[in-house]
Amino acid sequence: MINPFARILDSFMGRGSAAVTVPPLDGALKPNNQLEELPEGIAGASPDDSALWHGEPLYSDKNRLMSVSGAVVATMSSPLTAIATSGDRLAIASVDNGLEIFDANLKNITPTWDKRIRNLTALTFTDAGALWYCSGSSRLAPDEWRRDLMEMNRAGSVGMADITTGIVRVVKSRLGYPAGVVGLSNGNVAVSEAWRSQVIEISAEGQIIRVMLDEIPGYPGRIHRRPSGGYWLTIFAPRSPLIEFVLREPGYRKAMLAELAPEHWIAPAYISGQSFHEPLQGGALKQMGILKPWAPTRSYGLVVETDADFIPQRSFHSRSGGTRHGITSALEHDDTLWLTSRGCCEVLSMRLKTQGENA
Amino acid sequence: MTTAVLELRSVTKEFHGNAAIKDVDFALHAGEIHSILGENGAGKSTLTKVAAGVYKPTRGEVFYQGKPVEFLSPQEALENGISMVFQETSLVPSLTVAQNLELGNEKPLNRLRGLYISAQQFLQSLNFEVDPTALVSQLGAAKKQMVEIARAVRHNAKVIIFDEPTATLTPEEKYHFFKLVNRLKNQGVSIIFISHALEEALQISDRITILRDGEHVITDKVAKFDRDMIISHMVGRNLSKEIHGETGEKRKSRPSGKRILSVQNLSMGSMVRNTSFSVFGGQVTGVFGLIGSGRTETFKIIAGAVKRDFFHGGEVRLSGKPVRYRVPKPAINDGIIYVTEDRKLEGFFETKSIAQNIYSGLLGADLNKNLMVNYAEMRELAKVWTKRLNVKTIDNDSKVIELSGGNQQKVVLAKALVQKPKLIILDEPTRGVDVGAIAEIHDMINELADTGLPVVMISSYLPEILTLSDRVLVYRLGRVVEEFSADDASEEKIMYAAVH
Repeated sequence: MINPFARILDSFMGRGSAAVTVPPLDGALKPNNQLEELPEGIAGASPDDSALWHGEPLYSDKNRLMSVSGAVVATMSSPLTAIATSGDRLAIASVDNGLEIFDANLKNITPTWDKRIRNLTALTFTDAGALWYCSGSSRLAPDEWRRDLMEMNRAGSVGMADITTGIVRVVKSRLGYPAGVVGLSNGNVAVSEAWRSQVIEISAEGQIIRVMLDEIPGYPGRIHRRPSGGYWLTIFAPRSPLIEFVLREPGYRKAMLAELAPEHWIAPAYISGQSFHEPLQGGALKQMGILKPWAPTRSYGLVVETDADFIPQRSFHSRSGGTRHGITSALEHDDTLWLTSRGCCEVLSMRLKTQGENA
Repeated sequence: MTTAVLELRSVTKEFHGNAAIKDVDFALHAGEIHSILGENGAGKSTLTKVAAGVYKPTRGEVFYQGKPVEFLSPQEALENGISMVFQETSLVPSLTVAQNLELGNEKPLNRLRGLYISAQQFLQSLNFEVDPTALVSQLGAAKKQMVEIARAVRHNAKVIIFDEPTATLTPEEKYHFFKLVNRLKNQGVSIIFISHALEEALQISDRITILRDGEHVITDKVAKFDRDMIISHMVGRNLSKEIHGETGEKRKSRPSGKRILSVQNLSMGSMVRNTSFSVFGGQVTGVFGLIGSGRTETFKIIAGAVKRDFFHGGEVRLSGKPVRYRVPKPAINDGIIYVTEDRKLEGFFETKSIAQNIYSGLLGADLNKNLMVNYAEMRELAKVWTKRLNVKTIDNDSKVIELSGGNQQKVVLAKALVQKPKLIILDEPTRGVDVGAIAEIHDMINELADTGLPVVMISSYLPEILTLSDRVLVYRLGRVVEEFSADDASEEKIMYAAVH
């Protein structure tokens, strides 16, 4: 009975659910400029996900599956939204065709799925060979993630697909845009639930075992396992007090979604500051032609290295004014970290031996 | 030969049959600054209190200006020209600064306006920025100390004893204080100076006397001493490396654990301004900032001792759960333990025993399972913690006020640790504590962090911050302005961030 009153009071006093606060970037998430300092990467149309296939990193780039050596591995009829590999198996999710499975010769061996799987945002094969998927939303395609956030939907789900029998099982639904999944050593999976800014552990029975990492100062996306243990977690867009405020104003959001073009919404983005038509906060005004690194921003580049328990250990950043924003995947192979940036549309590589612990 | 203004010959002072000082000889020459150094419990305060008429010696004699004296009270000593600035402030909180300065010299009729004008002129002559019309109860620790010093100087004493006068002063205030001391010296006043800041003693003194375990160890000219030599005389071993991390090796910082505390856009008036930071498990988070930078106020808000702004005051999350404490009790129950910087005022019950004080921590956290006070448990608890923290005391029934500063601090820490903290905030944990106890407290802080506990250590002493912290947060103008990892931090960088 007291809840509505508490909500009104919170809204009046700017606390509780009405507090427009964002967790700080500190500790292992202390900002640096390491992504911005990387050399020029492989230019692409819209590099998104990555996976290791026969010892070579692959990345999805619109309709094409590319290798970092420049070879086109496969071309699909619609944009790819997620990829995963396991041994000779390659799983590709695309906008039109949904989930497809290929063998070592890239022959399509997709079974007939007993349920329609769509709007996939992430895929992973667990050590046991099970294919887990994340569906960001039951009705909006991954490219419409900003609308999904602004509508505050909780229409995402995580499931398992049996690539031999075609049986699909939804393990957990009503999630806030699951955008990354990785298998854990205990047989469960870690899922990044973007709109709740947390990584949760989900069992095969659909139980949320625990929150592994919360209060992330952005929207977490794909997770890749590190060869030496631990994980790479990408944060594809930042949270900001202004966006948090807009998310607490349903009337404004409704009008904004109905009347403004998506690029003009006050919403996070893979890249921002490209047009003077975009919404701008005073602090993001350029002074003497320079944008301060700490200026309020709707886009940001951030990839986090965590330990096996998802405790952040270090991070690489591209701050306001930078361009290496919207990092959507991070794949480590042979001491090199391959990063796909939707902001600058490049595949970046970082020699880990020259960064941090291995230096 | 220089004449001794004040001389103590073979002085012994016993409490309950235990000697606090034993057969100590001490001579203060005319117009000299004489530092007395020693660990807490070495007998420095006892020695000077004997000289100032606070204690009557059990054995031995006191000579003042060549004549044997037996002062019956500090007032009598003061009338004879011996003034003492006590470690614990002896001001009357309900009176104004000017009234406190005049205390003891009151006339039958006192005109307030005249009192304030003369106090104002006097304080200005000392370069002390204190409002004479302010109530002492409203002053901070540093300003109270300044009033204490001013009061001692005002009595035109021939001998002034300063017991830890600089512990709460800012660098600028210390500068003015040292200038004042030198001015007094040039006027022929003899000064006894007690301090734990060895650099200050080396800087200001003409001679140094070192006491250990109530016994005289050495007296010599200051030129004969250096820092390491003083420490080895004080404790009988070299602790400099332990305290200042001068091991030559870069200390490996602990990896970050889970985020335990998340402070987001916290605000409280003009003292705390929209600050955000996190505290992680298994790490010592050092917090540095100049006095008035808002660091203590921030952590008092977290611990429920002070309230944040009513509107848009920000958020505090403990292990992901938003918390808002109006009083400290629920914070203690949630495991947030704040150890105050002002132990005398907020840290312990001075008239209660060590055992009662430690047990009060248990009661405060609702951790006693009995309906009534369990004296056996109280005694056992005191036994365990005094042993663990090496509290030097005659017995656990001694009153805390009878202990030296370092041992008082250990009792305060024991009182905090019995509350089973999930987050411990130590505000100036080694202020007014001797070098031996500093090393022990540092060890304890490291042990706590090693067990996975998030430890916040607020300190104004940069070597301490650099030695202990795994990460350093720097405060300025009410907010965290910079964060350094242990590898990045240096005194210059931290100070630059705190000032600019």
